Amino acid sequence: MNQHTVKAYGDELNQLTAEVVRMGGLAEAQVADAIESVARRDVALAKAVVERDSRLDALHRDIEKKAIRLIALRQPVASDLRRTLGAMKLASDLERTGDLAKNIAKRALILAEAEPMQPLTRSIERMGRLVSNRLRDVLDAYTASEIERALSVWQTDDEVDEHYNALFRELLTYMMGDARTITACTHLLFMAKNLERIGDHATNIAETVHYEITGEEMLGERPKAVPGPGEEPTPTPHLSASPNAAED
Amino acid sequence: MPYEHPPSPVAPTATSRLWTAGASGVAVVVMAVLAVMKPELAGWLAAGAAAVILATWLVNRTPPTPVDISDLDGGVVDLGPDAALLGDVFEALDDPLFIISGGEADDIAGRRIALANAAARDLFRLGGTGAGLLVSVIREPRVLEAVDEALFDGVPAAVDYLGGGAQERHWRAMIRPLPARQAHDWGGGALALLALRDETDVRRMEKMRVDFLANASHELRTPLASLSGFIETLKGHAKDDPKARDKFLDIMAVQADRMRRLVADLLSLSRIELNEHIAPLGRVNLARATADVVDAVSVISRERQVTIQADLPHGGAAVIGDRDEIAQVVQNLIDNALKYSSAGGAIEVGIEIDRTLDEAMAARMADGNRLSLATPDREAGQRYAVVTVQDHGPGMAREHLPRLTERFYRVEGQKSGDRQGTGLGLAIVRHIIIRHRGGLSVDSAPGQGAIFAACFPLAPTSEG
Repeated sequence: MNQHTVKAYGDELNQLTAEVVRMGGLAEAQVADAIESVARRDVALAKAVVERDSRLDALHRDIEKKAIRLIALRQPVASDLRRTLGAMKLASDLERTGDLAKNIAKRALILAEAEPMQPLTRSIERMGRLVSNRLRDVLDAYTASEIERALSVWQTDDEVDEHYNALFRELLTYMMGDARTITACTHLLFMAKNLERIGDHATNIAETVHYEITGEEMLGERPKAVPGPGEEPTPTPHLSASPNAAED
Repeated sequence: MPYEHPPSPVAPTATSRLWTAGASGVAVVVMAVLAVMKPELAGWLAAGAAAVILATWLVNRTPPTPVDISDLDGGVVDLGPDAALLGDVFEALDDPLFIISGGEADDIAGRRIALANAAARDLFRLGGTGAGLLVSVIREPRVLEAVDEALFDGVPAAVDYLGGGAQERHWRAMIRPLPARQAHDWGGGALALLALRDETDVRRMEKMRVDFLANASHELRTPLASLSGFIETLKGHAKDDPKARDKFLDIMAVQADRMRRLVADLLSLSRIELNEHIAPLGRVNLARATADVVDAVSVISRERQVTIQADLPHGGAAVIGDRDEIAQVVQNLIDNALKYSSAGGAIEVGIEIDRTLDEAMAARMADGNRLSLATPDREAGQRYAVVTVQDHGPGMAREHLPRLTERFYRVEGQKSGDRQGTGLGLAIVRHIIIRHRGGLSVDSAPGQGAIFAACFPLAPTSEG
């Protein structure tokens, strides 16, 4: 670190934002690569994802340190304070996202040893793409300070839940049909759950972006036409447990 | 650091000047000799010799003009009148180009876009000269790393990466270090050139071939097996039974027809997928296209005793799109609605104009489930026209909705017996809509039918 350079306050804030964005890019790439390693049964890629996670952790620590330093030395108020705190919050959401991606990659390593399960990995891929898109949208919203885009991510969280529920059913059907697939299907189920959580982190980021720009909390229900499965578990005919029963 | 001017690739050096003069002299002598030997070609050869002499003179006429590097102002090379031309060339190149200034090595906020050409500004919707933070445009970590390496270690690199968006794109980013400029407006330090090349076409072609083979071989297996089964039977004990033979031939005709439609659908799906990243340019009247489709299917709907109620605006609705493809969207949606309508039922087709994206994708059924099957990238101020198709069939449960546009997906428990579908209709619809930068949503609940809503961006109204 270059201690001699005295940077303007604004520069320091910009640097913090830029670091968060770079961390976001890294987290995005981790998620995308983790999904690809599942889809293509790519052991090398999965290993690379697992290894790269430490960089996200390092960036997270670095951003926190910088934010604390900035608060201590500059005592930011109003929107500057929100930006600083927003950077810290985003960094921890992104760090968690990276952990989840790492977990997916680890499971991909195990799956690569078993028989290929084409249709199921394709469903994971589809859900993964949806989640990646949401992550990308919300980071775009953060870099461009676009409140509308952040809101649209926040409002469409139920799409991920829908995919998760559909995948849950699909996996259960497979496991009931052939007991030998249970190990692989369980791993896929955890992957789906991880993806769903990454989607939740994207929603959290959207809330942080909203707070950072407006200074107001996003209160109340998400404007949805129907209650999400998380709030009101819809009993599926032949399933005893709802996929979201264990949530929260 | 003194700036060394590299030898110009265009202006010949003194030695090459001698060389070209000598070479053309030899050519003229050879032609003269040939002219003596073959008098009938003399005219042509004389013209050729004249051309060679003229060319030599033209090449050597302009002496090499050394660029005066003594008056370099702040390290910027003075290219004379050509500086403006080079600027125009940079601006006009089709590939997105960025010039990135480095700042300090440990400061990520120091990587700034110093200059972006028109293609780059278009692609990332940047205003002005496109100057700004690099991370606000490209977040891909491998590209950022390569940029750092080019800036501070002088290592060129190429990175392939997948650009997100409603239409996926494969990019190849090429990063080259540039000689440093000391002037203040260049960030005072290292510079690099970042060029992007769109390689989506190549990748898509590859993927299309693989997908087509996989899908075709998988889906054609069933009808093919039944065909060969019937052929076996016809060759065997049904040989002398005219009644059974006719029956079997009818079934075979149906199966062959199904195979034909399957291949046709797969091909059109592949074609649309291939063009997905190229936005259509034409203007289409959505209302008229819909009316035409409704007219065309009226024969079939009458046969099935299903009434189609079309509520179309008189003024029409001009959207950006390809007419045939938009007609196919409406056609497939109505076909679908017909398939799941019982005799005596009704289908409502409607068009809403001038909606925002949120209005266009909003829930349309009071107590149903809504899901968007395709969402376009958000563009500020873009208005949409929506075509809705509602049926009153069995409807679908919530868990089926995410998988509707999957190829060959069928909702469980719904017999496809007399319903003649290839399982590709909605997949085609979705891909056409993605190509048109539109959106698709579905509302449905068991026992309440389904509403499909497809929205397309409205064409800008021509003023004056």
